[in-house]
Amino acid sequence: MKTLPLRILTFIGLLSIVIACSKDEVDPISPGDKNNVTLEFDNRVGSQKLALASTSYQNASGENFTVTTLNYFISNVSLKKADGTSQSFPTQYFLVRQADSNTLTPILKDVPAADYTAITFTIGVDSLKSASAVEERTGVLDIASYGDDNMYWSWNSGYIFFKLEGISSAAPANSAGLNKYQYHVGGYGGRTVGAPTTNNLRTVTLPLNGTATVRKSIAPTIHIIADVAKVFTGASNLKIASGAVIMSPTAAIPIANNYKSMFTVDHVHND
Amino acid sequence: MRKKYLLVLLLIGILVGACTEKASNEPVVFQKPSNFPTPVYNFDKNPITTEGFALGKALFNDPILSRDNSISCAECHNQNYAFTHHGHDLSHGIENRKGTRNSLPIQNLAWQKEFFWDGGVGDVDFVPLAPIENPLEMDEQIGKVLEKLRKTQYYPAQFKKAYGSSDITTQGFLKALSQYMLSLVSANAKYDQYLRKEATLTPDESAGLTLFNAKCAACHTGILFTDQSYRNNGLVIQDGGDDVGRGRITEKKEDYYKFKVPSLRNVEVTKPYMHDGRFYTLEAVLDHYVTGVQQTPNLDPLLQQNVSLGIPLTATEKKQLVAFLKTLTDTQFLQDKRF
Repeated sequence: MKTLPLRILTFIGLLSIVIACSKDEVDPISPGDKNNVTLEFDNRVGSQKLALASTSYQNASGENFTVTTLNYFISNVSLKKADGTSQSFPTQYFLVRQADSNTLTPILKDVPAADYTAITFTIGVDSLKSASAVEERTGVLDIASYGDDNMYWSWNSGYIFFKLEGISSAAPANSAGLNKYQYHVGGYGGRTVGAPTTNNLRTVTLPLNGTATVRKSIAPTIHIIADVAKVFTGASNLKIASGAVIMSPTAAIPIANNYKSMFTVDHVHND
Repeated sequence: MRKKYLLVLLLIGILVGACTEKASNEPVVFQKPSNFPTPVYNFDKNPITTEGFALGKALFNDPILSRDNSISCAECHNQNYAFTHHGHDLSHGIENRKGTRNSLPIQNLAWQKEFFWDGGVGDVDFVPLAPIENPLEMDEQIGKVLEKLRKTQYYPAQFKKAYGSSDITTQGFLKALSQYMLSLVSANAKYDQYLRKEATLTPDESAGLTLFNAKCAACHTGILFTDQSYRNNGLVIQDGGDDVGRGRITEKKEDYYKFKVPSLRNVEVTKPYMHDGRFYTLEAVLDHYVTGVQQTPNLDPLLQQNVSLGIPLTATEKKQLVAFLKTLTDTQFLQDKRF
């Protein structure tokens, strides 16, 4: 007599779990609901993990190279909703640095609850912010925050959008005797209206390969793969032997044209 | 009786409070000369205060800004020479390293749109970064400068005085240096006094002014003595032409070998001249314009208007021009104890 109600209760409980799980629906959205979206930057070289300094890879021109530094800014993120409208996040800036694992999973904050199907972002720091007043440069834009791994040009004011460095036998030995290649890509078009200089800002839009369902209880992770091998190929094949140290914006145009295709979304976690 | 006494005390207190309040917030040093245009710098975002100016002055004169704590900004920007590096063709850095350009005067920066010989920086607030981080100059990281300042006894208190918080931030650091540099206004040369009818020019100076207006003022324009443009004035290309000036910034062939037209205020004391300090005297500069101008890429059209390249001047005219240029020397500015 005593055990029957408990069994019934257990049965009802299990049944309700099964029903809940089989119902392929997520939480309803209340106005004002929002959550974080983690952007997971998974830097790789072709089909290999990117390991700093230790491993030699090969580029499309058959040159060997290691990676000692890989940094890039991500700005002006926007997410496209299933209904075709977009949500932009113009005030959130990220600096991804392979050497610092904390920077590989930046968090996009205050994302309104919705179903998102694509992401758009700019590689670099948009031109408005690149020419902004010092008080507007906080967080990763603080020009005093880069230490030995500088991401700002002081003599020709502007951020280094993308930095890839390493060792390659195709690079001539530098003054320190190292066969170092250095790609520093910057250039936001300059301050002079009517006389633009080189603009290496590149914006990419990637389908999410699924849907990011942002809810009050769900903070999705968008898993983005960035393939360093593509820096050397795509729009054009870059040979380290023909330019190991590239730092001027104009010389760096082919690098930017290649790396804009290095990103893909692998999958989305809706947890 | 007692009540009255208290009331008076209270009033004095309010007055004293009001006065100190006023003293700390008014732009005590920077003043726009009446004959100068509206400043380019937006003072609303960085109002000059006595404390901010004092902090900027201390930083400007402190070698802690360089990697080995050996040289300050003032090393290459000495007040007596209108804040230039007297007698040095190229500015010197730490460990006796030699820079690639002649140090420019620091004066009237509030009216400048772009900075350095090539205009690579477009905001006074970002100017100090270039010499601090240049490996041939102070060779230091700004982040490390801030760390060093935080460890001192002195600076956190000075930042607190200037900004109300002892936190040493990038913004506070750069804006204090700006407050000091922006306050370095030169507008009381003999020429200014002449304009205000407080002084008269000698016949040579007066003839020089007429010549100047006819032959020089197209580039060295107006009360600031520069049109702030970039031009190739036909210097012999030396050192393999590595320094392409403005072309380094814009990466455009049509800007190669162009350099900023410098102001001529205090030009008497800012020798040597040109972006690389190749001319040691004003006479040598004038000789260049008379007989030295070369047909190099992007030579300025204004130097190609005569039978031969350059600007024709007789020996007498050169003497008169030099006499006029010396009326641009602002002794009060060069000796102002506040700076």
